[in-house]
This record gives sequence, C-alpha cells and structure tokens, in this order.
Amino acid sequence: MVEENVKNLREGPMGWAKFYRKGIGYFAFAMHRFSGLVIVFYLYLHLFVLSHLLVGKATYNSLVTSVTYGPFDSFLVLDVLLALVIFYHGANGTRLALNELGIGLENNKAMFYVFEVISMVLLGIFLYYAYMFLGAS
Amino acid sequence: MEELVVEVTRTDEKGNQKLQSFNVPKDKVSTVLEALLYIKENMDPSLSFRYSCRMEICGSCGMEIDGKPHMACSTTIESLKSDKVKVAPMKHYKVIRDLAVDMEGFFGKYKEVKPYIIRDDENGKYESEILQTPAQFDEFIDYSMCIKCGICMAACPIEGSDPDYLGPAPLTAIWRYVADSRDQGAKYRLEVASGPEGTSRCHFVGECTEACPKGVDPSYAIQKLRGSMVKYEFQSLFRRH
Repeated sequence: MVEENVKNLREGPMGWAKFYRKGIGYFAFAMHRFSGLVIVFYLYLHLFVLSHLLVGKATYNSLVTSVTYGPFDSFLVLDVLLALVIFYHGANGTRLALNELGIGLENNKAMFYVFEVISMVLLGIFLYYAYMFLGAS
Repeated sequence: MEELVVEVTRTDEKGNQKLQSFNVPKDKVSTVLEALLYIKENMDPSLSFRYSCRMEICGSCGMEIDGKPHMACSTTIESLKSDKVKVAPMKHYKVIRDLAVDMEGFFGKYKEVKPYIIRDDENGKYESEILQTPAQFDEFIDYSMCIKCGICMAACPIEGSDPDYLGPAPLTAIWRYVADSRDQGAKYRLEVASGPEGTSRCHFVGECTEACPKGVDPSYAIQKLRGSMVKYEFQSLFRRH
C-alpha cells in the first residue's frame, strides 16, 4: 500500500498543452482545447459589448468606435485570429464527429490534414470577401 | 570507451525527487533496462525499478524514456540516437520509489470492466464447444494482445486530468469482449462504457495508440465501442423492459 505523502505524477489540465514531441493527434487535441477557450472568451466578450445596447445607442456606438478605429484598429488583426481559431475548431470538430460515427476512422490522421487544409482555404476566401466588404464600406 | 549518460529521476519514500546521473559503458548494455540493471549491479544497488521477463511480455518495466512512456526492456540504446537518456517514472501514477509506480488504481479500473468471458450458461457447463469462424476471431484478437503495462494510461492526457476516467486499456478490454462472439456480457460492459467516466471522456487524442508497445490500437477500439454503444442505446428505445 502506498502512503498518502508519495509523489503523484498526475499532470492535470496543464498536461493538455504539452504536445511537443507527441503525435499529430495530440497537437490537434491541444489546439482544439485552446481554440475552444478562445471562442468561449470571445462569446462572453461579444455579449459584454452587445450589453451596452441596453444603456443606449450612443454608448454602444462609442464603445464599438473606440475599439475599431484610431489607435485600437489592431483589433482587426484579432478578428483575423478569431476567424482562424473558429475555422480550425470547426474543421477539427467535424472530423472528430465523423470519426466517432465510424466514418474515416482508419484514416483519421489524413482526415485531420485534409479538413484543416480545406478550412484554411475557406478561411482565405472568407478573409478575401471580408476585406472587399471592408474596402467597400 | 563510449559511455551512455543515464539521467534518472529518483523519488524517495517521502516523495522528494532528485535527478541523478550515471555513466554506463555503451558496450555492456543494449537496452535501457540493461543499463538500469548495470547501474543497480555496479554503481547503486538502491536504485528501484520493476521488471521481470525482459522480453516485452510481462508489462512490468514501463517508464518515461526521454519524455515518452516506453517499455525499458524493448527500448534499445541504438534507437535513442544519443549518448544521453532521461529516465523517469510513468506519469499519472503514484510513485512508490524511484521508477516503480503504484499500479493498483489501474488494475482496479481494469477489474471493473470484468475482463473475462461472461456466459449465460449455468455453472459454466456447455453442451458443446463454442465455435468461432476466423472472421469472428479476427474481430477481437488484436485487442487481446494487451499486456496490461499501463503505458497507454501514462500517455493519455485525459487520464492525467481526470483520475476517475476509465482510461484506454480498460475501455479497450471492454471492446475486446464486446467484439468476442462467445461473450454474453455486453449489456454490463456497455453500461460501464456509457457511464460518465467511460468513452465520453475520450477526446480521440490517439497518444495511447502511439505509445502502445504491442501495437494494440486503443483509440480505434474506443471509437468502435462508441459505435456499438450508439447502436445499443438506439435498440434499447424499441426494446421491451
């Protein structure tokens, strides 16, 4: 019987991020956790910004203007990064759902690469049209 | 003479850890286990580790070798491609001393899935042999190669964050018996697998499959088990209770 004061080597959730020298599945898993956290953070941030509509149109407009124009227009870069994690998360999530239904289970690693390449192409198309929209407005 | 530097993470009975390096002559050893035995016989008899068969059958000498879980007996010095190797106890287990870890938790989870054939026949008396076709045999034979070394449990990141998660080896054992045409315990096993600490906790990282020294594919088995569970749950909607 092992005493209670012995060293327990359980890593906890911090171990999820240690994908270095692991398989591609571990990388996909670690990035899925990370992108999920970013998306949840953005959701709450988005709700926080929208909640300013309750105060009034002027308050909301002034907040949105303050983060999208002037010295803070670097938020556009964050928007692109947000789109990146959403496309990554969506593609990997779709692959996992298909694998769990038994579709493509034997080729799950190849599926990861294929789905991510497709998602990055879609991201490129999305960003192109978003840029065109930005230029038009 | 060429030397191999073996850096061992040692743990005393109070849980204090320290690194200790040993220089082992390369021409005297061919595997990591042999290097550890050389250290024990010639340098430090207090070095503790578990081993038995030395041929990857008993599943005793699992440990972290250069940061990944491996069997020490089948990890050759040549495959390291380095003059230095880091050896540590397997992750996600409690350390008894040095490289020996407490496997009780793992074996407890394994017992929970009843890893043996369950039959409805009374007192195990059968009227005749239970025959299987080669195709039925092929369904489960790969998964019966598991040697219960616990390496997959050390490789799984979910096992590292949720001590109650059944883990790759016990879930693979469930699939091994569910896929066996002789077994009649699927109802019990699928209920265990569909519990909160069953297959739903697996995120298909696949590191268990990467680490398995016997080529068993636990991540594949778990996904197959998921498919069976969906089928079982769907059928239970139309089943009379």
